[in-house]
Amino acid sequence: MKSKIVVVEDNTWQAAQYTRVLESNNYDVSIVYTAQAAIDVIDDVQPAAIVLDLLLPGATAMTLLNELQSHSDLATIPVVIATSSPESLSGATVSPYGVTAVLDKTTMHPNEILIAVRRATV
Amino acid sequence: MNSGVNGGDGCRGLSIFGDIDTLTVAAHELKSPLALIRQLTLELESSASNPDNQKIILEQIRLTSEKALRLTSNLTKAEQLQSSLFETSSLHPSAVCTEVFQEILPLYRANNRDICMSTKSRTQLVVANKDILRRVLLNFADNALHYSGDGGVVELFTQLIRKDGMVRFGVRDYGPALPASLWNDILTRPSSPQVVHDRPESSGLGLVIASRFAETIGGKIGAIRHRDGASFYVDMPISKQLVLL
Repeated sequence: MKSKIVVVEDNTWQAAQYTRVLESNNYDVSIVYTAQAAIDVIDDVQPAAIVLDLLLPGATAMTLLNELQSHSDLATIPVVIATSSPESLSGATVSPYGVTAVLDKTTMHPNEILIAVRRATV
Repeated sequence: MNSGVNGGDGCRGLSIFGDIDTLTVAAHELKSPLALIRQLTLELESSASNPDNQKIILEQIRLTSEKALRLTSNLTKAEQLQSSLFETSSLHPSAVCTEVFQEILPLYRANNRDICMSTKSRTQLVVANKDILRRVLLNFADNALHYSGDGGVVELFTQLIRKDGMVRFGVRDYGPALPASLWNDILTRPSSPQVVHDRPESSGLGLVIASRFAETIGGKIGAIRHRDGASFYVDMPISKQLVLL
């Protein structure tokens, strides 16, 4: 059975790229473009991991992380953050939210999203 | 909420890179498309992508680089405003919109978005520099693309503002509404771009540039905050020349 991943990414083409990489490695991917919409999808899908962009339209990624923590069944889902501005985050800030990796979009290889998701879902 | 964005005479003639914040914001806005181009290129290099995907990825690389180039070209142009004289002429609003529509449509289609035109064929001519007006509208359309959902529609419109002797060129999106405080910052401080997290690609830099461009050709930009999105517009003076039709 395929592991389910929810990708929260407002850039359509970036989200599609993550999907290509993950689906070709036997993951079942759901894409959502805003943090507001993400909570419902995550609740429905109950994914093995979440890939989350930091800067989103409307509610921010931090709002979503806080929201996830307020639901006991969603609080333990591991989160991989992929952002162009990793310098704006510290490990201490995000680690209480179940963030297992922070990837820098400006330097990462496409396969790093796969490696991070694999580690998060072990 | 309908508000004019006052670029202010205070910023005319000053370098757009007069402060380090602007440079930082410009770098921030370019990071996203450059990072995407890099990742798509790396994906192409891998043998994993099939021919159909390769074609899609190549188009995405081209369109993303064109979008980034529009920003860099506008930044360069904004820097040169001080020393340039822009020739103005009488332009047909519908013709300008059609040109912008045709230029931006491939980017919208490739993003599974749509853009439509709402312009009247028989309307007043405006006095403007065509290239600059085109850049302002493309700027608005680029921004609106990001705030329309999958399958969403953005509207490119013109409207006669008879009492002011102006024609309004605008772009309406249906994206998330901005909080009032951030909205006020954008409207009152267009010379100070900032990273607006609620609309990540709306740092205000595009508005700074659009405001400079509009001032240069006798126009004024503004915005309307809707419950379900926003309209950004530029008002251009009506030409005294009669429409020859």
